[in-house]
Amino acid sequence: MRSFAALAPRQLRARRLRALLTAAGIVLGVAMILGVLLLSATIQRTFSDLFDSIYGRADLVVSGSQASGSLRTSTLHEVRRTEGVAEAVGNVQARFDLIEHTERPPPEPEPPAAAPEGAPPPGAEGTAPPPGAAKPEDEVTGEPLNVAGQDPGAADFSDTETVAGRKPRHGREIALQQSWADANKIEVGDRIRLATPSGTERLEVVGLFKFTTGLDFGGQGFATMPLGAAREIMDKPRGYDEVQLTVSGGEDTIQEVRRRLEHSLERGAKVATPDAKADEVESQLQAFNVILYFFAAMALFVGGFLIFNSFNMTVLQRIREIGMLRTLGSTRGMIVRSVLIEAALLGVAGTVIGLALGIALAKGLVVITREVLEVPVGELRFTWWALLAAVVTGVGTSVAGALWPARRAGRTSPIRAVLGTEGLRSRPRRRRAAIGVVLIVLGLGGAFWLGAADETTSIVAAAGMLGTIAIFFGIAMVSPFVIKPMVSVLSWPLRRVFGVEGRLAADAARSDPGRTAATATGLMIGLSLVVAVNSIGASFLSSIEDEFDRSFARDLTVQPRGFAPGQGPQQTIDRDLRDRLAKIPEAAVVARERFLFTPNLPGPSGKHGSEGLLFAFKPDEYDPVDQTDIEGASREQAFDRLERGWVTVGQGQADEAGLEVGDRIRLQGPSGSRHTHVAGIVQTVVFGGQTIGMSLDTLRDVWGVNADSELALKATSADARPILERKVERIVDRHYPNLAVLSNDELKSDVERRVNEQFAIFYAIVAVAVFASLFGIVNTLSMSVIERTREIGVLRALGANRWQVRRQVADESLVIGLIGAVLGIVVGAGLGWALLKGLAAGVPGVVYEPPLSTMALVAVAGMVLGLIASVLPARRAARLDVIRALSYE
Amino acid sequence: MASTQPTSIESATPTLAVRTRGLTKLYGSGETEVRALDGASIEIARGEMLAIMGPSGSGKSTLLHLLGALESPSSGTIELAGRRYEGLDDAELTALRRDTIGFVFQFYNLLATLTAEENVLLPALIAGRRDEAMRARAGELLARVGLSARADHLPSELSGGEQQRVSIARALLMRPELVLADEPTGNLDSRSGAGVLELLSELNSSEGHTIVMVTHDPSAAATAGRVLFLRDGRVAGELEGGSTQRVADSFASLEAGGDGEPDRTRIGRVAGMLRDVLSRAPSR
Repeated sequence: MRSFAALAPRQLRARRLRALLTAAGIVLGVAMILGVLLLSATIQRTFSDLFDSIYGRADLVVSGSQASGSLRTSTLHEVRRTEGVAEAVGNVQARFDLIEHTERPPPEPEPPAAAPEGAPPPGAEGTAPPPGAAKPEDEVTGEPLNVAGQDPGAADFSDTETVAGRKPRHGREIALQQSWADANKIEVGDRIRLATPSGTERLEVVGLFKFTTGLDFGGQGFATMPLGAAREIMDKPRGYDEVQLTVSGGEDTIQEVRRRLEHSLERGAKVATPDAKADEVESQLQAFNVILYFFAAMALFVGGFLIFNSFNMTVLQRIREIGMLRTLGSTRGMIVRSVLIEAALLGVAGTVIGLALGIALAKGLVVITREVLEVPVGELRFTWWALLAAVVTGVGTSVAGALWPARRAGRTSPIRAVLGTEGLRSRPRRRRAAIGVVLIVLGLGGAFWLGAADETTSIVAAAGMLGTIAIFFGIAMVSPFVIKPMVSVLSWPLRRVFGVEGRLAADAARSDPGRTAATATGLMIGLSLVVAVNSIGASFLSSIEDEFDRSFARDLTVQPRGFAPGQGPQQTIDRDLRDRLAKIPEAAVVARERFLFTPNLPGPSGKHGSEGLLFAFKPDEYDPVDQTDIEGASREQAFDRLERGWVTVGQGQADEAGLEVGDRIRLQGPSGSRHTHVAGIVQTVVFGGQTIGMSLDTLRDVWGVNADSELALKATSADARPILERKVERIVDRHYPNLAVLSNDELKSDVERRVNEQFAIFYAIVAVAVFASLFGIVNTLSMSVIERTREIGVLRALGANRWQVRRQVADESLVIGLIGAVLGIVVGAGLGWALLKGLAAGVPGVVYEPPLSTMALVAVAGMVLGLIASVLPARRAARLDVIRALSYE
Repeated sequence: MASTQPTSIESATPTLAVRTRGLTKLYGSGETEVRALDGASIEIARGEMLAIMGPSGSGKSTLLHLLGALESPSSGTIELAGRRYEGLDDAELTALRRDTIGFVFQFYNLLATLTAEENVLLPALIAGRRDEAMRARAGELLARVGLSARADHLPSELSGGEQQRVSIARALLMRPELVLADEPTGNLDSRSGAGVLELLSELNSSEGHTIVMVTHDPSAAATAGRVLFLRDGRVAGELEGGSTQRVADSFASLEAGGDGEPDRTRIGRVAGMLRDVLSRAPSR
């Protein structure tokens, strides 16, 4: 040993198990942080690649109010005529799914090498094979294909490179992204069958291309095809989804052209640079990221807490030694530094292991995001700053966690060299409890704010995060006061069942309430997050299910597979299907529903509100399938008014925009604008009540939407229901593999599955925090066993067998686990309530629902975790040599 | 023979290592106030080996703690090598302990993770001195306590007596003015204890270290040149150059001839304890 500082690593090496248990929290916390940072970097990179790839050298993009809103056909000409625009091209987009495998057609004569661009298509559009040619057992396979139909003669701005074959020129030709084609074993010349909005279609693959960015969109593919055929297949006979353009000039000109277009183009058309569009997606992902960061921060916080707890115990255990060092002339600073060096070393070691684990975790998170959340994410991307951030937070957290114990160590009086721990135990201080209560109240306020915020800005997220941490700190400070009564209550059954050992275990847990509290707090954090997350999920779910039960008078729903309004291009249903289903004798009603997700809901005088859903139906058709409560007007009245062009407003939007029945409201869309009135307020939690209901005509006239999004069916009688379901399924399965038929129960469980899936990633992260706290309990129990060595010796000398000793330790652990669980349930319920109250401020109709089954589960989990944690320390206690235990100092 | 008069020397002499005046130490307050030390004034000459004896609660440990600057007195003064303790802040007291006082504890207090040699060197490392001279001195001291061969052993690989020898070597590393030993044989069997006492006595006689030792054990006290008896926080007598038997007798008579309120039960207890101790003590 060369210097005093070299003492720290020695101490760590001497207590390997303790060091390992202490570092475990940091390992898991760092893994969490790195995993989440890499995930968010990967998502971000995926989308920036996407926009770089598909917009390529386009300077501006004009789009409808929705991701795939409809622009008028004339928009393209208007853009082309606008001063400063060099070139412009319009496209229509849709999502196709691959059906089964390809059959290789007889070799065709290879078409002449890529014809010069600008050659007009010969106009020979292939005729579609009649729908229904597909075999009934057809199934949608693989990842979806995003298809853009554009004029083969116009400029192509995208950043692609043809690697095989040629570009599609006419008819039912398609060019595929090479990686997707490879994944599905498709080659140039193959004919592939795709599930499209107009049913199953057969297309010829004439070329493969790749993006120069190497875009990986979570396995989803991209494809282009000629505009004419695309319009037919996508059921978009008119208009464009997007117009891309280049500008003759620099950045200034781009902005000038943008202003000019915004001024001249139809209302509702959005003009943005590709960068701005990427930013928009990023800000949409921001909320998701913030929540991820939040949970990762919690995991790290638990890690820091573990360090704090463990060092506190270590300092106490080494107090004689520290006192001796003080008698030898160590200054306070030297002692403090020595503890901090120890923490930093642990932090570094924990961080290194955590980084390795974090990379594995990030890979898992990417898969969850892609497969479960259905957000297309590419392969994991590494960023140096993520690694750096993880290292800094990891080491920083361990040092921060050790600050207080180090300070305590520094204050050790040299007399402790003689006295040891005698008379050292400090009583819980009242002032601290008071501070704790204040922290809890402030924390609940922060959590409420996080929930209430419309937008998850960084400040709000920070407030929520700090609020939550404040709650946990507060609980940690208050809990020593509640530990004694809690132990008395919780250990009562133990004492009854196990007698002496039970009482000894209870005494052990009570003797140092501070330590028991700190250990239970670690567990409490993880478990309370489980309860909080679950209570939000459960409350929403039960509110939605209530509404389903109350207002769903329909028997069946037909909707596109993977239906999710607001995500990706709006999928539509072939208009023929409705007529076909209406011919089934068992079908009493086939009601059409059309949705349009908009970032700005209409308000009074056209004031733009927040994002939400435009929802259109034919009132007389819709009435029999829906029973949602309408306030401010009778049902007949309201539906009658809808026919006349009025609109209904969801409770959420009504509250936000201050709308009441009869108020004027201004509708503005790409196809028109008009003033109308509010016909009624709809009591719905769908989309948080951010909805506007209207007739099909209104949606068409103002927003130009003409295709069905969903069909709601009602059978002629309850008996006819199964027959209807069978018949509908037969038609849909055969001709429209992209559609799904769902009963109300299936719809409900579909929603439930979706909500649970959304929360899956959070549960995964919270589980890590719970796991980390397990190490905390093991740590505390080991300390307890060491402290009680002599007592255990006495017990053994008096005839207690190993099993009884073991049980005493297990009982103490059980009590700690239960305390953690009870605190976790209480705090989690409070946190969940505050978050939900905040959320509910924006979403009326959602009622706080305590997740009782989860709470019961958490209580059981607390006990099980306690028992698991006690295994090793209990064994150690049971194996103590009686004589040595008795003479233990 | 035992005298109940406090030692008094009129003025400080250059040969004086320690002088205390009216040392008082109170613990707690009000009802629960305990007067651990009640005006103890003692003087210890340079190169002296002094044993402090007294029943439990007599204040002997408190006196040692005050001398070692581990605690500060409620009133009274302490002077070590002409330097007074009062008014020194924590940093100055720390430096004082480091440079002028060596401690030997009942429980050795060796760092389990360090070898014997490293434990001896620890004060130098703390003082930031890791020169060859210190290393050489540590080697010499280990040789002096007869543990050269075990320099690389960890405390767990040493016997109790050996561990205490290492801690004695550690106490001497910085050439302290004063070595304080708190029950140095309290945790040892009689053979190892005797060895440790012999070592302390030799270090005192041949190398002139000033040693103050607190002990229960009359045979341990008998190795000291002078024995100071404490009772109820006051110096109750002293004995110079006594044998084990004389020390024990003095101790017993001190107990018996107290302050006029003889506490029979306590005397009985102490006497029983002494018989016990004597039967175990090696005869000298």
